[in-house]
Amino acid sequence: MKLLSGRIFTGVAAVLLLAAAGCSSSGSSSPTTASASFGVNATGTVQFWARTVSKTLAQKLVSEFNASHSNLKVKLTLTSINDDVTSLATSIRAGDPPDVVGLNDIDMPTFTRNGSFMNLTSEINKLPYKSALSPGHVGLATYNGQLYGVPYWADLSVLWYNKTLFKQAGLNPDDPPTTYAQILSDAQAINKLGHGINGFTFAGDCQGCLGFTVQPGIWADGTHLTNGDITNQTANITGNAPLQSALTLYRNMWAQNLVPNNDRTDNGTTWGQDFAAGKIGIMPGGYGQLVDLVKPSQLGTEFMDTPLPGANGGYSTFDGGDDFAIPTAAKNPSGAWEFIQWVMQTQQQDQYPALGATPIRTDVLTPSFSATNPEDAVALKALAKGYAPVTLVYDQMFNQAGGPWFQMFTTAVYDGNMSLALQQGQSGLTRLLQQAAS
Amino acid sequence: MIGPDQALARPATAAQPGPRGAGGRRLRWWRLSMSRRRTLTGMGLVAPSFVMVAVFVLFPLGFAVYISLTNWPLIGPYHFIGGQNYSLLIHDPQFIHSVLFTLLYTGIVTVPIFVLGYAMAVLVRSNRRGATFFRTAFFLPFIIGLATESFMLLLELQPDSGAADYVLSKIGLAHATTAWTVDYGLALAAICVFVTWFASGLTMMLLMAGMQGIPTELYEAAEVDGGTWWQKETRITLPLLRANIALALIISVIGSFLAFNQFYILTEGGPGTSTEPVVMWIYEEAFVQYHLGYATAGAIALVVVIGIISAAQFYLLRDGSRAAR
Repeated sequence: MKLLSGRIFTGVAAVLLLAAAGCSSSGSSSPTTASASFGVNATGTVQFWARTVSKTLAQKLVSEFNASHSNLKVKLTLTSINDDVTSLATSIRAGDPPDVVGLNDIDMPTFTRNGSFMNLTSEINKLPYKSALSPGHVGLATYNGQLYGVPYWADLSVLWYNKTLFKQAGLNPDDPPTTYAQILSDAQAINKLGHGINGFTFAGDCQGCLGFTVQPGIWADGTHLTNGDITNQTANITGNAPLQSALTLYRNMWAQNLVPNNDRTDNGTTWGQDFAAGKIGIMPGGYGQLVDLVKPSQLGTEFMDTPLPGANGGYSTFDGGDDFAIPTAAKNPSGAWEFIQWVMQTQQQDQYPALGATPIRTDVLTPSFSATNPEDAVALKALAKGYAPVTLVYDQMFNQAGGPWFQMFTTAVYDGNMSLALQQGQSGLTRLLQQAAS
Repeated sequence: MIGPDQALARPATAAQPGPRGAGGRRLRWWRLSMSRRRTLTGMGLVAPSFVMVAVFVLFPLGFAVYISLTNWPLIGPYHFIGGQNYSLLIHDPQFIHSVLFTLLYTGIVTVPIFVLGYAMAVLVRSNRRGATFFRTAFFLPFIIGLATESFMLLLELQPDSGAADYVLSKIGLAHATTAWTVDYGLALAAICVFVTWFASGLTMMLLMAGMQGIPTELYEAAEVDGGTWWQKETRITLPLLRANIALALIISVIGSFLAFNQFYILTEGGPGTSTEPVVMWIYEEAFVQYHLGYATAGAIALVVVIGIISAAQFYLLRDGSRAAR
């Protein structure tokens, strides 16, 4: 039971650290960006906290920045996936936060609404490429019309397909599906190949994975699962036809045995491995996800991606990844902003695909970029129509085994009870949104 | 022979520089009565430990109690709300469910862990050939660790590809596509079997240590009197193992009350929240919902419950003969 105790102690220690940090909160005054020299020729050191998921990208960027800047250095600290929010909150409470943080964009509202981050609106408005910034990332960094962060890197959902299996099934590998009906018929055709080949796959016990890949189809049809401002949101489940179409697609995949049996218990640990092994025809997933699983030579030749379509066309993507933010108590905000601007330059953005990430500027998508990075170009094209739900309770709604999103999905897809599923989703989301508003 | 008190007194005797200054303090120490010096020496020796306990246990515990009386959020201001968190706690159906589930889980695994641990201890308590191998083999799951083994089990419980379905389907006990981790009953059964395998090694070690401390003369005398193996176990081994059994059961029960890793990795508390133990509830409230004050109230309640159960176990399994003395 040693590990169990260790986990408890870790949890208690984290609570107590947060508590102790709260006692010593300095309440420092908010710095401003008013100075003309803000973000220009800064000196000293910039403490940069990035999530472990962006490790390769962050290390490369920091290394190159430090090599090209003699008076300003960036020191990188990687934060673990599950503790990044509490680590940041602890440091802010203690009055000793990093100068810049790469925060999971869906967690931005937790911090923006209570003044934890600097208001960067005036600086962002000066950026010539402001309109090209990832809309989902920007939306999550916006509070009361003010901007408290800028996009750092994008982790976008796309529809991957196996060109080899498409050919074997008599399908055109250069004509990927663009509607739900085509996805279903292509999956059926590939499934008929037999020999352990399945038409489709999804991580059926991974709430976050499903939110990442199923929702864009709903957004592509022009609706969201929540409506209204962050302070007064309502659930939009019952009567949501695009949602019902999406759930029906997955129900058909499951009921017609077009997916592997172990999809039901895939909690994300093995997500995509069967597709990378060449046993699956179509898989909604992340761009960087497959880049990490297959050889570079397989991309484009064996595996290709296309935007995640809606029921009857259109497309969208989950605008995942991280936002940059500068805590209000940062010691070197000017240096932080200089680093952020450098990262957002085209030269750095062009390096993203090779590092498993998608750029956050849509104007990076040039013919040259598409020719060099055809798979990431698909994701970047979708970025312009990307979205990410702006809510204070995203984790509770979409990332929990007991959350309403997964309960709705389970009832609709595995149990085949659509009306009950929609009722569960409506009541569950409503309850959480009301709690968040109170 | 010089006793410890005399040894302590010696430097003062040798120095005796005068009634003032540092030497004066030694003189006063020398003039203290023996019992007073013993008391002060004991306090001096205990002081470092007491300071450590105060700083790292008592203060955090007290502060945690304070947090539980506030609406402490992840970030931002907080307010003192008295016992409101505790009041909410006893009316929170999810908390109640997690407590009941934890009790059920503890009730299921405690006896098998003890019985299996005892049986293994009996098997390896002598120093016959192969005993060391079996001791190592039985204790190995505990050494490897619950988190690692939970991830391994997760892969082996996968439908179609996992070893569990393959083996069980061959002997007709399951289908090749049985989805263990997403069914309440199957998941609970799998985790209970898994934890029994994992934790019984520790029970074995605790009991084996006690068994090896029992004088062999007692067994020899029983054999001379014609005692059977069962009689020797029930009349000699078990009574003399009371303290070890108490320790093994208390560790086992506390471990079950603090169950987290296996559920977090294998079921994530699902399906729904049906396999969510109380520690996972605390974790979710604190680090997903960011209700730190409320979560701490749950943690304090858990500490109190574990304290009560441990005290009850100590009382029920106390050594009667020692208590009489």
